Amino acid sequence: MKKDDINTGVLLDELPQGGKPDVSAAWNRLRGRMRESHGRVPLRAWSLAAAGALSVAVVLVVTVAPLRAWAEDLLAIFRVEHVTVLDLNSSSIQGLENNQVFNQAMSHILSDNVTISEPPRPPQPVADAATASRLAGFTVHLIAGKTPNSLMVRDAIIAQMKLDRDRLQSIVDEAGRNDLRIPGSVDGAIIGLRVPAGILASYGNCGEPVKMTFKEKGWGARLGLAPQTASQHADDTCTKLSELPSPTASFPQEVDPAEIAQVGLQAAGLSPTEAANFTQTVDWTTTLVLPVLHGQTTYENVNVNGIEGILLRPRLAGASGRFDLLWVDNGIVYSLMGTGDDTTAINLASQIE
Amino acid sequence: MVMASTWVEADFENVFREHFERLVRIARRVLHSDAEAEEVCADTFLKLYRSGQGVLAGGAVGAWLCRVTTRASIDRLRRNRRRGRREEQEELDADASSADDGCHDPLSRLMRDERIADVRSALARLKPVKAQLLLLRHSGLSYQEIAAIMQIKPASVGTTLARAEAEFSAIYQKQHRLDKRTARLEIAKEG
Repeated sequence: MKKDDINTGVLLDELPQGGKPDVSAAWNRLRGRMRESHGRVPLRAWSLAAAGALSVAVVLVVTVAPLRAWAEDLLAIFRVEHVTVLDLNSSSIQGLENNQVFNQAMSHILSDNVTISEPPRPPQPVADAATASRLAGFTVHLIAGKTPNSLMVRDAIIAQMKLDRDRLQSIVDEAGRNDLRIPGSVDGAIIGLRVPAGILASYGNCGEPVKMTFKEKGWGARLGLAPQTASQHADDTCTKLSELPSPTASFPQEVDPAEIAQVGLQAAGLSPTEAANFTQTVDWTTTLVLPVLHGQTTYENVNVNGIEGILLRPRLAGASGRFDLLWVDNGIVYSLMGTGDDTTAINLASQIE
Repeated sequence: MVMASTWVEADFENVFREHFERLVRIARRVLHSDAEAEEVCADTFLKLYRSGQGVLAGGAVGAWLCRVTTRASIDRLRRNRRRGRREEQEELDADASSADDGCHDPLSRLMRDERIADVRSALARLKPVKAQLLLLRHSGLSYQEIAAIMQIKPASVGTTLARAEAEFSAIYQKQHRLDKRTARLEIAKEG
């Protein structure tokens, strides 16, 4: 066939329009679905652990890049070996935090598209490191010479998230970036997420637990390593150590996480060039990326027993001197939260054995 | 900041009754049955209902509905294509049974249905945004309406459409050449 032989307009105009729909019957069916949707579980009703798992999922979905190249038969697997920071423009993220439609869309994704295989139990208190190691399935290390006031073991979480392109697109649209397009290949794909059992040890006066706002949570809490609570009447002696074997995420081969990462980073406020540069400078297959808000958190790379870690400090009023030190050692992600200068933080971390 | 306010059911029903039929007709152009087109449109309305009226802050409800429906239809078309030839055959059957075809001669009807399947297949191979643009344009929408729906500058609609049509044409012709080659091979085998 020669190029001139076809008339695109004629071909496209020939597509059928179908019969006249029964609008009233369609409305009745839709009304039934609308009423069902009123009974959906809201975001706040999710367990803290599930929210933690989702945080990991979101971080991974947004940030993991060239997993496609991994030579797995069916799935690409992500494992954390390093931690790094992504400094984000705070105004774009704060806009999202205050955007009710955006939050509602996220809530719908949680309630409709994330399945937790087995709801985790509340964290279980245990007597000592040996018991914690047995229950958690890895060797637990605590701060030498100190006895924790409480030692808790949190269950593993196995979750699946079915990607819904339209919903993800609506989130990107709501983030003010309707110029960005979520690739069609993600639609219906299932991402698997496994967050192994972990532990939390609390030392000193950590007071009574109270709910924390997102801004108040350290990364340990955001990732499900530590409870999503702060401690009322806690003082500067309070130190919390959480340990968690590397979470893993799996992607079907037809999904290109690089494409998703590019969209996610741009939706989070990076320019296309910045997003491309960032994805090229990080080994995505082994790095957990912690987004922090520019100007609200300071961070620096530090050396913890010969391993590179990240020391984060919030710039919140009343949080003076607080630190959150994260590093990965032998497949275990550590988070140490406390109060003190850099030397105090690193010394405490070096006493973990 | 966009505020989400929930819908009053009567208001929402009015929106539904005003737009549903038109959206189904657009979606049906790329989907193989009336039922599938209605399902995609119902999903769009449910999304609108769950999102509250806040999603409309950026524009008119008709444009929003059209954007989401056409995008969902193209995505469904692409998914159908991945499912393979069996569904394509069902698609042919569904279109053959539609009442508005105006083809009474079985051979003409068969050829027309094959052309429709080829057009849809070529649309499914295009980038979704381009397929969306072509679908909107050939559903009878003006450049101005397309600009509002796709949230692009009216001045760039013509150029973007021209590019989309050129790509569509190239894909369609490539498909056609492959089909002819396959047919010749089959005839050679039989002969």
